[in-house]
Amino acid sequence: MNANEQPVGDADALAPVVYDELRRLAAAYMRRERPGQTLQATALVHEAYLRLAGAGTPWNDERHFVGIAARSMRQILVERARARGAQKRWAGLDRVSMTDALAVASAPVNQLPALDDALNRLEQIDPEQARIVELRYFAGLSIEDAAAALDISPATLKRRFALARAWLFREMSAG
Amino acid sequence: MTSAQQRRVRDLFEAALDREDPNVVAWIGEQTADDPVVRAELLSLVDHHSRAGVFLERPIVEQASELLGDEDPLAPGDQVGPYLVVRELGRGGMGRVYLASDPRLGRTVALKALAPNLTRDPLQRERLRREARAAAALTHPGICTVYALEEIDGQLYIASEFVDGGTLADEIRSQRRPSREQLSATARELAAALASAHGKGIVHRDLKPENVMRTRDGRLKILDFGLAQLNAAVPDGPGLTQAGMLIGTPAYMAPEQINGQPADQRSDVFALGVLFYEYACGAHPFASGTTLATVARVLEGQASPIAGRADVSHGVAAVITRCLKKSPADRFGSAAEIVAALDAASADPGVSGQHALWWRGHQVAIVAIYAGGVVLAWQIKEWIETPLTVGIFLALGGLATVAGILRGHLVFTSAVNPSRLPIERRRTSRPLLLLDGITAILLVADALLVARARALPALLALALGVGITLASVVLEPATTEAAFGGER
Repeated sequence: MNANEQPVGDADALAPVVYDELRRLAAAYMRRERPGQTLQATALVHEAYLRLAGAGTPWNDERHFVGIAARSMRQILVERARARGAQKRWAGLDRVSMTDALAVASAPVNQLPALDDALNRLEQIDPEQARIVELRYFAGLSIEDAAAALDISPATLKRRFALARAWLFREMSAG
Repeated sequence: MTSAQQRRVRDLFEAALDREDPNVVAWIGEQTADDPVVRAELLSLVDHHSRAGVFLERPIVEQASELLGDEDPLAPGDQVGPYLVVRELGRGGMGRVYLASDPRLGRTVALKALAPNLTRDPLQRERLRREARAAAALTHPGICTVYALEEIDGQLYIASEFVDGGTLADEIRSQRRPSREQLSATARELAAALASAHGKGIVHRDLKPENVMRTRDGRLKILDFGLAQLNAAVPDGPGLTQAGMLIGTPAYMAPEQINGQPADQRSDVFALGVLFYEYACGAHPFASGTTLATVARVLEGQASPIAGRADVSHGVAAVITRCLKKSPADRFGSAAEIVAALDAASADPGVSGQHALWWRGHQVAIVAIYAGGVVLAWQIKEWIETPLTVGIFLALGGLATVAGILRGHLVFTSAVNPSRLPIERRRTSRPLLLLDGITAILLVADALLVARARALPALLALALGVGITLASVVLEPATTEAAFGGER
């Protein structure tokens, strides 16, 4: 969590709170949502921040919060993609639907578990690159916002994201 | 790679991006002339960068919002509307099922949380409501009663009777096969339950052993009426639940369902036939390796005859065979007709029993012929004592002992443990045929040896030899067919 070398002690301890709040908010969003509408992860993160900050949680500022929220989003999404994959494998033994089999193979959702594993490996080499992917891909932050959250220039963030992307793409295509 | 090399790769990669040089490979070569490891890594990354396309370009949430809507499991003690969660009972394609209590009525219910991704489509939701309402009208001891379809916090739950027991799937997986009586009783109970639903115009569409439970006190309950269409919903978004989807579980789908035609009561009849069959012998009637091959065989191939694989009466075997007909028109029109057919079959229980008596008599008679043959061979050996006649006598004695024991074992099994009989008969039929054949040949040989000395015993030996052959090849298949129906 300390990749951006900021004091985040309190915020770190509160990660489970963020995780729970995001999960709850996301579920509430989705129940109201009509099929086909897309949800903005940034909106979700922002609302969670407002709610938790309003509840008196000691965030230094929203930037610290965003890093934790991005990591929580990654956890939530990967967990669910994994659960769904397990369910499919289990269900696949006795249940097929023609379109299912075709649609499933290449969907980004089904690559999430593998992406998560690759991201863990990237984190060993360069934690900052992993943070950038979390902010951009999992929390949906713009280049500017992600750069602000990590306290680097947007140009650097853009280049570094490109590097992380190439690295992960290679990992994933190696299978 | 060292972390210094890693950093160099990073910096050079970023510099390469900035240069936007068409001849980036040459530039990298210049920059990394001193370090082939860094050069190889850099070239590989630049290459993958150029091929990464839209990889990670769009935030995942925008592409897979529905992932966030996936249900969160409930924990024991959680309150859901009026219900108090006791524990999770299991999970399946439709969502999780919890044991919960309803304090308003002080009763225990099974609470099925329908996976939100399955019920987000308003049309689907409405259809579900309609079907749940219809299913709630079913009150039969053989059908798990639906109490309510609840919408709590936008999430759909089905509260139904809690059935404590095991599924028929567990029984099928176990090694124990039912006796004739158990099979008939189970078949009739299930058909009667299904008939009550068919009587109200409700089709199950997804009958399978997992959907049938046996309570601790031995009664059967069919679960999940009206939920089959949920299986069709693809969890990956709307628009995929349209025509062309398979509804149901392939191995239990009737040919017309597989072909995408609407399911009716006769599709349930087919599924029930598969279920009876599996329950009777532990194997699928169209089993062939993979699910797809099985589906293909449901469409094109014939079911393996049940008679050879299970202890099943003529009548019940005929009912199952008719349930499994390819064309719906050839099957029973509804479950009520199955009940009637099963009743008719069991109203005549003496027939098969009496035939079994004939079959036993036949076994005993053949053993008697063996004994006669051995006695005769002994006598012939006394008259003409050559190594050959002695050898024939000894061989006949040995063969008769083995064959006699095998047949005695069959008679014993048929009296004490009839459910094992088909298996035992399959195991012994070939050896017995071989033993009978050799016995007959030896008797004929003995007849030829003694013919010149004494004509009458020779004739008798010849007759015994021919008799055993006839009994084995002609009579036995006939009595077997009469007793067990169509098998060898």
